[in-house]
Amino acid sequence: MAALPKRIIKETERLSKEPVPGISAVPHDDNLRYFDVTIDGPAQSPYEGTLLPPFGGVFKLELFLPDDYPMTPPKVRFLTKIYHPNIDRLGRICLDVLKSNWSPALQIRTILLSIQALLGAPNPDDPLANDVAQQWKEDQNQAIATAKEWTEKFAKA
Amino acid sequence: MVEDVAPQEYSEKGALAAHADARELVRLVQCPQCSKPFNAPVTLPCGHTACRSCLPNPVARTNISYPNTPDRLLGISCPLASCGAEHAAAECSVDVTLTKLMELIKNEVAKHLPLVADMPIHLQEILKWDGDVAMEENEKTEAKGNSRVLQGGRLVSTFVMAEMGDLRYSSEVEYKTLSDAHDDQDLNNALLERLRDAAQKELDCHVCYNMMLDPTTTSCGHTFCRRCLVRVMDHSSICPVCRRGLHIPASLQNKPSNTLLNALLNGLCPELVEARHRAVEAEEQGGDDDLNTPLFVCTLSLPTMPTFLHVFEPRYRLMMRRCVEGNRQFGMVMYNRNSAPQGDMGSTQFLEYGTLLEIVNLELLRDGRSFVETRGIGRFKIRRHGMLDGYHVARVERVEDLSLAEEGLLEQSETTVANEFAQRYQQDNPDMPLPLDVAINRFSTQELLDNCMTFIRQMRDASAPWLSARIVQVYGEPPEDPALFPYWFASVVPIAEEEKYSLLRTTRVRERLKIVYSWIRRIRGQRW
Repeated sequence: MAALPKRIIKETERLSKEPVPGISAVPHDDNLRYFDVTIDGPAQSPYEGTLLPPFGGVFKLELFLPDDYPMTPPKVRFLTKIYHPNIDRLGRICLDVLKSNWSPALQIRTILLSIQALLGAPNPDDPLANDVAQQWKEDQNQAIATAKEWTEKFAKA
Repeated sequence: MVEDVAPQEYSEKGALAAHADARELVRLVQCPQCSKPFNAPVTLPCGHTACRSCLPNPVARTNISYPNTPDRLLGISCPLASCGAEHAAAECSVDVTLTKLMELIKNEVAKHLPLVADMPIHLQEILKWDGDVAMEENEKTEAKGNSRVLQGGRLVSTFVMAEMGDLRYSSEVEYKTLSDAHDDQDLNNALLERLRDAAQKELDCHVCYNMMLDPTTTSCGHTFCRRCLVRVMDHSSICPVCRRGLHIPASLQNKPSNTLLNALLNGLCPELVEARHRAVEAEEQGGDDDLNTPLFVCTLSLPTMPTFLHVFEPRYRLMMRRCVEGNRQFGMVMYNRNSAPQGDMGSTQFLEYGTLLEIVNLELLRDGRSFVETRGIGRFKIRRHGMLDGYHVARVERVEDLSLAEEGLLEQSETTVANEFAQRYQQDNPDMPLPLDVAINRFSTQELLDNCMTFIRQMRDASAPWLSARIVQVYGEPPEDPALFPYWFASVVPIAEEEKYSLLRTTRVRERLKIVYSWIRRIRGQRW
């Protein structure tokens, strides 16, 4: 492997020195391009944790910086099960900035913020999980209830 | 019209000093047009900078219709003496980096002023005349200009004088300290140090997060290292920051750098610029000295034969650029379609034997793709491999043919053994044909080649489509050297590449010819 680019070193440093509230990203010791990520579900969303035990609302993700990062976007996937129209059962995320709208001026920090924002603003019109999206459109209240239920069940800290 | 900032070579001069070079430092941020510190600076396509308000009004360009966007049909004639060209209005946006830098400088100066309120200094502007006309009018080449008494040490007072519009861009300044109480040097140094720290953040490239190297400014006013911008353009044609479309890809190599940012970087921190240069040079060479052969995973290429490539994948665009700047060589290997284990390396994406290619000609298309003409210069076996910026790199070992002496001995023993065997075999089984391998082994190497040549002649007489004039024009006439003939034959004959691949592993001429001969027998069998 070639040496780790300065950009990745700097991003990693900044993530640990000036962390984003509600988001953490820690690289693996043996692979500095592979990050363990947690994102807190945003307030007033079905993915928010509870004030009292069991708290929860913490989603685990994995993030990998490919060899030609930042020319190509990081690869990000939810590890925690989540009920969301733009995230499928394998944890894959439908988000423009992770695909065609990626720009090298974006970074790990901004990408994770975008994902957090996606939790606060599900978009059933551009679905990845069709069944969830359909449920979302047909009976939004029920969908939100399911999302809350899944959050409680799976998104434990 | 005025002279532009002289570009400096990065290693030529040390950093500018706050006290001694105060005039020079201030000139860096003075507009060559209006002589005031830049206000909404625009970096023009020629790489020079002027305030937006100092640019002449855009006028309709005549006889230009491509690219046909409204703001390209308006032109701004460059006010800078060394250029004078007409720039498309679309390419004259405010320089974002310089604008931020100017804000920052003005803030720091404002913060600094109260500290130096009791340090009056007398500044005398010395005009420089360098035009011929001026020389005639003035016998002397120097004349006194404005003179002011200002607070704040050399650096700040010079800046303030420029802000007042009393210090012409080309003028020099004579200083006389009026308070003998302090020496302002320390304060100047402290200010410059703060400026340098503050500026450094703005001078980082948004792509590599390093200090900008050879800063290049887009038509939308955003600046990146030239090599970063080139790499971004391999992947898309929009600005990474504002996503506006950029019409630059193929011509980027010729696009002038941002002259002013270069001068600032070289003036403020030449040692960092030099360190960046060295780091990038090392990086471009691959970092890992051992894995020094870039690999193009695509097709079968053969020694001495041409291979034509259409390069469109971003990673290979980068690789080709590096090759062209380096020794123009790279390795061509085939995909490992069946994921077969490759020697000690296990199952790799590619096959372990390949051909070293040399770039003969590279035609860069406007959109960044390229057509590359290459020629095989040797075979190799991959020893170790890794990744570099998305493409494979490897340490390779040349695959060479055995010496002629060994080749001769081999032919001798093989034909002798085969002949003896054939004699006995024919005595014992007079009506049976010889086993195939014995029949082939009886041929001398030259006979093998002659057989192949005969086949080629027959195929030509029969107008085989794979021997059309066009193909022969590309690959040439069949070589008469038995070592090379198989490569030529494999290049033209329509059989599976996986079969042709076996030639790459051979280390004996005779072995290669026998492979070719076996193909010929098969083709003959199919035809008749």
